[in-house]
Amino acid sequence: MVRASLAVTCAAALVAAAAPAAASAAAAADAVTHYSLDQAKSSLEFAFTQAGAVNKGRFGRFPVTVDFSAANLAASRLEVSVEVTSLDTGDKDRDDTLRGAELFAVAKFPQAHFSAARIVKIAAGFEAQGKLTIRGVTRDARVPFTFRTASEHGAAVAYMAGKLSIRRLDFGVGQGEWQATDQVGNEVTVSFALRLAAATH
Amino acid sequence: MAIQNTPHRWGSLSQLLHWTIVVLIIVQVTLASMADDLPNGMRKLTLLARHKSFGITILALAIVRLLWRRLNDTPALPDTLKPYERFLARFVHGALYVLLFAMPLSGWMMSSARGFPVSWFGFIQLPDLVPRSKPLYEAFLTTHEVLAWSLGAVVILHVAAALKHHFVLKDDTLRRMLPFTGKKERT
Repeated sequence: MVRASLAVTCAAALVAAAAPAAASAAAAADAVTHYSLDQAKSSLEFAFTQAGAVNKGRFGRFPVTVDFSAANLAASRLEVSVEVTSLDTGDKDRDDTLRGAELFAVAKFPQAHFSAARIVKIAAGFEAQGKLTIRGVTRDARVPFTFRTASEHGAAVAYMAGKLSIRRLDFGVGQGEWQATDQVGNEVTVSFALRLAAATH
Repeated sequence: MAIQNTPHRWGSLSQLLHWTIVVLIIVQVTLASMADDLPNGMRKLTLLARHKSFGITILALAIVRLLWRRLNDTPALPDTLKPYERFLARFVHGALYVLLFAMPLSGWMMSSARGFPVSWFGFIQLPDLVPRSKPLYEAFLTTHEVLAWSLGAVVILHVAAALKHHFVLKDDTLRRMLPFTGKKERT
């Protein structure tokens, strides 16, 4: 109010000079931070039941674009693009089978995508609501996550983690004999823990 | 028939354990050789899952068997054996017991090392015994195979000896491990 009343009484030149500064200050408060993925310190894992036992795998490359501010969720964005062929379950034969035409069909569908249409606050943190595309099939998905910022050696970083459960057959991951779920379960738990570096301006 | 062993005859529990394990080993060899010839796929996965479940079953039965052996008389070897035959019989029986443990354990470790955890028929997931590692997997795979061939060799000796006792020496060494063949108990 003080600043506003001063502005009213000030010379036109002063008002003109002050207005952009005030506007950019307001924008900075609500600005989303652009983050880049620290791939080496991030993980994207999946767990599935095979022959009655929980088996695990991970993806090695999954470029992520995050623009985030807890104070401005409307302007926040989350895009994930998973290089499916980078999957690793610790066994080459199984990995090759997973990459094959009846499962992930990486030759035809090299990438899986998640794109958040909106990000909302939930009790346990945040939730990205959007579209998940795997093997060319797109479905609505909700990805709950936590987001924690930190300063490490003077650099602004953020840690983002979450877990969701999907059904592989919803996306056609499992054609032919792999449609059966008695040996390889339909439910797959996907979990991620990302280390993000804030872009420096 | 008595559940417990006597100095001259195997009791029904020992017989049940012996013959159940015989059947399971035949099932194991069958499953393993069927799976061996298959390309990777659901069928191979299913066969190997059963192979692992039966293997764990054998391991459990082997533990029961060893405990039961401690709680019981062990029927004596026939008096007619020469010292070297006595030694050979002990060696073969000892080797069979060792292999009943070593086969499933090496298979279990092989699965752990490969990152294919073992489940018992989907009811219980067993812990990994060793960390995931390709060299370890290959070492346990070789171990499992060598043990399997060793088991084959020891079983041949065991069966040959049993048949020799039955058909050549015509004593009751084989009969005392067979159900429904109990003569009057000698005490």
